[in-house]
Amino acid sequence: MIDWSAFVVVALVALFSAAALVSLYSLGLRLLTVEGRTTARTAAGYACFVVCALGVLYGIYLIVPGFHR
Amino acid sequence: MDITLIVVLVIALALFFDFTNGFHDTANAMATPIATGAMKPKVAVTVAAVLNLVGAFLSTEVAKTVSGGIIREGDGGVQITPEMIFAGLIGAVVWNMFTWLRGLPSSSSHALFGGLIGAAIVGAGLGSVDFGVVLSKVVLPALLAPLIAGVVGYTATRLAYTITRRRDDKSERGGFRYGQIFTSSLVALAHGTNDAQKTMGVITLTLIAGGLLTPDSGPPFWVVVVCAFAIALGTYTGGWRIIQTMGGGLTEVKPTQGFSAEASTTATVLASSHLGFALSTTQVASGSIIGAGLGRRGSKIQWGTAGKIVVAWFITLPASAAVGAVAALIATLGVTGLVIDAAVGAVVIAGIFVVSRRRPHDQGSAIEVDVAATSVLSRRRARRAVRKGRVDTPASGVEAPFVRMDDPPEPVVAPRGVTTTDDEVR
Repeated sequence: MIDWSAFVVVALVALFSAAALVSLYSLGLRLLTVEGRTTARTAAGYACFVVCALGVLYGIYLIVPGFHR
Repeated sequence: MDITLIVVLVIALALFFDFTNGFHDTANAMATPIATGAMKPKVAVTVAAVLNLVGAFLSTEVAKTVSGGIIREGDGGVQITPEMIFAGLIGAVVWNMFTWLRGLPSSSSHALFGGLIGAAIVGAGLGSVDFGVVLSKVVLPALLAPLIAGVVGYTATRLAYTITRRRDDKSERGGFRYGQIFTSSLVALAHGTNDAQKTMGVITLTLIAGGLLTPDSGPPFWVVVVCAFAIALGTYTGGWRIIQTMGGGLTEVKPTQGFSAEASTTATVLASSHLGFALSTTQVASGSIIGAGLGRRGSKIQWGTAGKIVVAWFITLPASAAVGAVAALIATLGVTGLVIDAAVGAVVIAGIFVVSRRRPHDQGSAIEVDVAATSVLSRRRARRAVRKGRVDTPASGVEAPFVRMDDPPEPVVAPRGVTTTDDEVR
């Protein structure tokens, strides 16, 4: 009657994608505000934000039906 | 003559339902960015409205059934008549208005299902409703959605706070506000693609039933346009009461929490809509906010408010079903019944609107955003704002960390055009 496997999949995917997005964004913030910034750290910080932006683009891809149907 | 009247009535009511759907659900996307000052209230609702408008045009697939399988429609089942749809919509709209008056976020789709169920029971008997589907599509998801979203929101918030742990005086957490803008926008866009479709489906099916469209035809372009604008207008109007509940009534939301909550809402809603386990956005958003509240040490959850919201979720279906049933009963009188239905419905909606004016959480378009802004200030920021004499409308958020729906703040009418506290919020 209720599709428990689908429910577990949804729960896990939501958990991991939200955790990944928030972790990356937090890491980016931390890398860019930390004392004693080096070029490498700055680059890594921006890289985090770029990955987050890709995540948002993937979200738009999922939302807009025209992209994947 | 008969069929034309009912079609016109259904279209008008469906569009009004679309409108209430819009302003009911603004809070899902925009309550936390408004609460943390990531976006000014007016900007937030404008962004949400535009994204809903865009989203409505993007949705290509319009629902083939009105009730999503809850009512045994089509071959071998009952024929859903325009009268039933009309009565169902009255139930949905009245319940949406009532929950808005109480500032309770409840699912608009569940209200629509409820109204239709009530109408179908009266019109076609108890056997027309598939209660197994009601359980698996409405009741259980209502338990599971806040649970999933709460766990996800809690985890995300804990992660965010751990990673950005303060080492010195510097705090990077203000940066979460910028992230919120993106995650909230995704929620608003997803809402537009999902919810405007439902109204388009209802109108299209009514036109087909009335013989004005051939079966299996898609929605005419004008239907898409009016539905898109109805939901966008509703979103822009902004259900400030519900925004207050979700932005400040459940827990005091900090930027870190706001970002985590909104990221959880986005992730859960997208996962649920693409992996085949439908969850209500409203319930997911409320769960995420509670989870984010639990994730910050020292933050309090107003469990009384949370309890009221949960109660509202569970009575949404039976309550709108009751209204829908009564409306369907009156509609059996024929044209007279429909006119009575429409008149009574209009009076009830107008009455709710009048009551909402008497206890205004929103007062005039320019002032209501200030009320929304000040009522979700944190205590510390509010005190600072008061010291600087910047608060023109000391809503209850200034004194208390949350807004009680039962005793709304004394409305202090601020002169239009006075500098507001928006700079403070930022």
